[in-house]
Amino acid sequence: MQASRARLFKEYKEVQREKSVDPDIQLVCDDSNIFKWTALIKGPSETPYEGGVFQLAFAIPEQYPLLPPQVRFLTKIFHPNVHFKTGEICLDILKNAWSPAWTLQSVCRAIIALMAHPEPDSPLNCDSGNLLRSGDIRGYQSMARMYTRLAAMPKKG
Amino acid sequence: MESDYDTQDASDTESMEDDFYSEETVVRDGEDEGEDEGKYGFSDNESDDSDVIVSERLQQNYTVLDETDIRQRQEDDIRSLSMVLSTSRVHACLLLRHFNWSVSKVHEEWFADEESVRRAVGLLGKQVEMPNVAELLCGICFEVHPRTAMSSAACGHPFCDSCWRGYIGTAVTNGPGCLMLRCPDPSCSAAIGQDMIDMLAIDEDKQKYSHYLLRSFIENNRKTKWCPAPGCEFAIDFVMGSGSYDVSCNCSHSFCWNCTEEAHRPVECSTVAKWILKNSAESENMNWILANSKPCPKCKRPIEKNQGCMHITCTPPCKHEFCWLCLGSWIEHGERTGGFYACNRYEAAKEEGVYDESERRREMAKNSLERYTHYYERWATNQRSRQKALAQLHNIQTEKLEKLSKIQCQPESQLKFIIEAMLQVVECRRVLKWTYAYGYYLPEHEHAKRQFFEYLQGEAEAGLERLHQCAEKELRVYLEAEVPMKEFADFRVKLAGLTSVTRNYFQNLVQALESGLEDVGPNRQTNSSKSSSSKNISSKNSPGNSPKSSTTTNNFDNYWYCERCTFANPSSNQACEMCEHRRH
Ligand SMILES: [Zn+2]
Ligand SMILES: [Zn+2]
Ligand SMILES: [Zn+2]
Ligand SMILES: [Zn+2]
Ligand SMILES: [Zn+2]
Ligand SMILES: [Zn+2]
Ligand SMILES: [Zn+2]
Repeated sequence: MQASRARLFKEYKEVQREKSVDPDIQLVCDDSNIFKWTALIKGPSETPYEGGVFQLAFAIPEQYPLLPPQVRFLTKIFHPNVHFKTGEICLDILKNAWSPAWTLQSVCRAIIALMAHPEPDSPLNCDSGNLLRSGDIRGYQSMARMYTRLAAMPKKG
Repeated sequence: MESDYDTQDASDTESMEDDFYSEETVVRDGEDEGEDEGKYGFSDNESDDSDVIVSERLQQNYTVLDETDIRQRQEDDIRSLSMVLSTSRVHACLLLRHFNWSVSKVHEEWFADEESVRRAVGLLGKQVEMPNVAELLCGICFEVHPRTAMSSAACGHPFCDSCWRGYIGTAVTNGPGCLMLRCPDPSCSAAIGQDMIDMLAIDEDKQKYSHYLLRSFIENNRKTKWCPAPGCEFAIDFVMGSGSYDVSCNCSHSFCWNCTEEAHRPVECSTVAKWILKNSAESENMNWILANSKPCPKCKRPIEKNQGCMHITCTPPCKHEFCWLCLGSWIEHGERTGGFYACNRYEAAKEEGVYDESERRREMAKNSLERYTHYYERWATNQRSRQKALAQLHNIQTEKLEKLSKIQCQPESQLKFIIEAMLQVVECRRVLKWTYAYGYYLPEHEHAKRQFFEYLQGEAEAGLERLHQCAEKELRVYLEAEVPMKEFADFRVKLAGLTSVTRNYFQNLVQALESGLEDVGPNRQTNSSKSSSSKNISSKNSPGNSPKSSTTTNNFDNYWYCERCTFANPSSNQACEMCEHRRH
């Protein structure tokens, strides 16, 4: 507990310092609880998520960083490896491939990479996975873009 | 050699009984001897028989290993590999674990492409030292520590000892995957071996790791398995492709090495699996069908009711609408009959006692159940008899033999024919038990095979009953009082003779079942017609009828049994009435 708190505090200071370094990621620690974080990440360019801003929620276990944080999308997203209802993410580094050398920042980077390179073979969103697997790239992209526009972009007017 | 018997304990004899039917012991004495019970000319062969048994034991196709043996073998493999590859003990261990403890596989892969094996296992060519500065940053806690308080794998990535302890502890808690642990740096695949564990982990984790390593040697090895008996810590090393799968552990548990169920030769593993599943599911299954499904009154397919409403619409294409309770057409139902959740037609009929709850359906289910019960009861009876015989054998070995030796003034070594008889009983009960599972799954329409099977089973069972009777009841007389030498000699000849005859019967049975009853020729058929086997189920269920008259409607030949739910369906049906499973 003490070790995880110390480690999270280091990450917190690092985030403050690096704020301007990675413009695609904005990590925010909960005011009252260092085990609760949120992040805003920018949809990667040349993907259907471009132009969108997606919010992630982190729940961090007491054994962190020996155990991975739990992360989910708060913003609705149409992606094969994200559960459409719960926002749960299927990503190996958040499960068995976790390394305690990863940080919340690097997790965000990995999620951005996942947005750009979906893995249709381990789908949490079957519709989306099926579209990609059947080769209907356009179908997938237009759905993903529609939800990006609906959920991840500031409303006009 | 004969005096060996005196010191033998129950577990030794257990291992003998399962060798009785190994190919080498099969002595084709000719079946005729079995028919002629007056001819007990076997006493001279006794010593030969025991020689066969003893030599059989020496060449058994498996070895029982205790923890010391396992550690020894593991250590030997690791040491010899590290010598051959001139690599460290730790690397040899990692390599063996990676290739499931197959020494030959490691050799093969290593000498074919050492580089790719190293990459896959995470073995670096040479040690990279941590940067040579006084203080280093730990990659896990992000704190700066003195270099002396940090460690690294062969890759040189530094982590503080406290973080290592946590890292290893988490991995060990997660299970045997800790045997494949890598450097915590995500970009690095350097393997973490037992030397690092021993240097950095807490004692409890070191022990757990070492335990996983030992278990892995058995569990990840194709040739070894743990004995499945509860609490037993022995493992069995099996010589693959060496015939019978039956093995006997030092804890006295006999089991099939292939499927780890109790020993079941000559019945196949798949039959045993089906049978065991059936025994666990049968009662529930039948009750469920009776309680939850009814045949559609129009198309007769089984319909499950899963909602409260009594208005049932049959599945397409039938779509017949009927009342679940009275099975009457729904057209006659509605407000008048009590709405959707009751049926006063049904209530009225039930009160009058006119209504007979789907008589035919019950009848059918009963037939299936009866057939199963027939086989199950016999299976279970033989199982119990075997347990009793085992206890008795133990009792004879530990006290009765000594007593008998005193009363009849015979050296114990001269009394081993009694032990042999009991061993034969125990083994035959086991075989006989499993033949009932076999019989249950032998298709009804294979008449010739069924007849042949029932003939062999009947002969074997009759022989076994005589032997068991003689070994159990007649023995008692000789335990009570001294009898004339001649009389005891006669008992010896009789019991040894029955043992031998029964062994022959069972050898025939085992061979026939193992060859799938293939040699059912015209001769066999004549044989079987002269036997009046008591186990012919059709004769049991239609008393008064000739067992072979397949024209009567009562006869089971007019039904086929659903593979899935065992329901007895009329032969005109192509799919099961209960579960719609197709007939094969
Ligand atoms: Zn550290
Ligand atoms: Zn490393
Ligand atoms: Zn055992
Ligand atoms: Zn088996
Ligand atoms: Zn119908
Ligand atoms: Zn009704
Ligand atoms: Zn069925």
